Amino acid sequence: MIRIGRRALLRATGLLALAPRAAQARDYTSAGEVLDTIDRLAGDVEAALSAIADAVPGAQPFAVSVRADHVRERADRDAIRARLRLPEAPPPGAPAAPASSSLDALRSTQQELVHAHAEGLPALDDAAAVHALARHMVEAARRLTVIDLWIELEAERAG
Amino acid sequence: MRAEASRGRRRFVLEIAKAAGVAPVALGVLDGSAAALPRGEATDMAILSAALMIEHHAIALYAHGLERGLFPRGLRAYAVEFRGDHLGHRDTQIAIMEERGDRAPAALSYDFPGARPGDAFVQQALEIEVAAQLAYTGLISQIRTDDYLLSAGFILVDEVRHMTVWRRVLGLRIY
Repeated sequence: MIRIGRRALLRATGLLALAPRAAQARDYTSAGEVLDTIDRLAGDVEAALSAIADAVPGAQPFAVSVRADHVRERADRDAIRARLRLPEAPPPGAPAAPASSSLDALRSTQQELVHAHAEGLPALDDAAAVHALARHMVEAARRLTVIDLWIELEAERAG
Repeated sequence: MRAEASRGRRRFVLEIAKAAGVAPVALGVLDGSAAALPRGEATDMAILSAALMIEHHAIALYAHGLERGLFPRGLRAYAVEFRGDHLGHRDTQIAIMEERGDRAPAALSYDFPGARPGDAFVQQALEIEVAAQLAYTGLISQIRTDDYLLSAGFILVDEVRHMTVWRRVLGLRIY
């Protein structure tokens, strides 16, 4: 069996579309670290989206939908922690600064959340956890695209 | 109701996977007749082959639509972008297979006799994106090696973007 490292593989395929993203990928060392990071980023996304929804009432339905998705996904992550005998999720900390109400900042945080899912998959070392987080990643990527389309729409409106 | 929808989705993915030329071992996972494959190099290769056949199929569909002007005019840029993504996915998976000393399966000869222009073709593109997304989601937990798992994660993110854009174009719910 040929077993090569991720970065070596990606260097070998350096011209390929996925290489830049994967080569810069964070190396998670444990399932707990992955889940903690996702919990933190999901909280950041909610804070950013709430700030936007406070300023733009039309954003409320999306904010409500995202919050509901996050509640379900957090419950799944808690179940994974319990099954893998990991410590419980830390309580959400108070944000260091008020969340930005800019769409670009929201997009950036949502993208970090999507990438944390993708980059965290290899560290889970558990097929059921990979399956669950892959499903969450699909949902997070869908929400990221919604934000992208929202930004495009705002740009078109601005002319 | 939910079980019926799930069966419907499974049938739909299987039809596209078969049309794309996906091997029986991966079809078994997708149709639920093989609950899990043994985690190992052979399984990774089977999944890579399955994913590659779906990419070949998607590339052929986008090429068909772009060459014949079947995408609505304002959406051509998306089609070009998504075709480029699929080419990148294909090349990444071929590189992984070749790096491991395996031979990547070649594309079949795909035919799209019923292709119609406009929203009907966007619907056809959406169907293959949905199938790709469901196939990757169904197979990803069977992948053993970290490098391929990471690549598959990023590929899946792209498939979801394609699917969501086409859903919005067709006026379908996106959140």
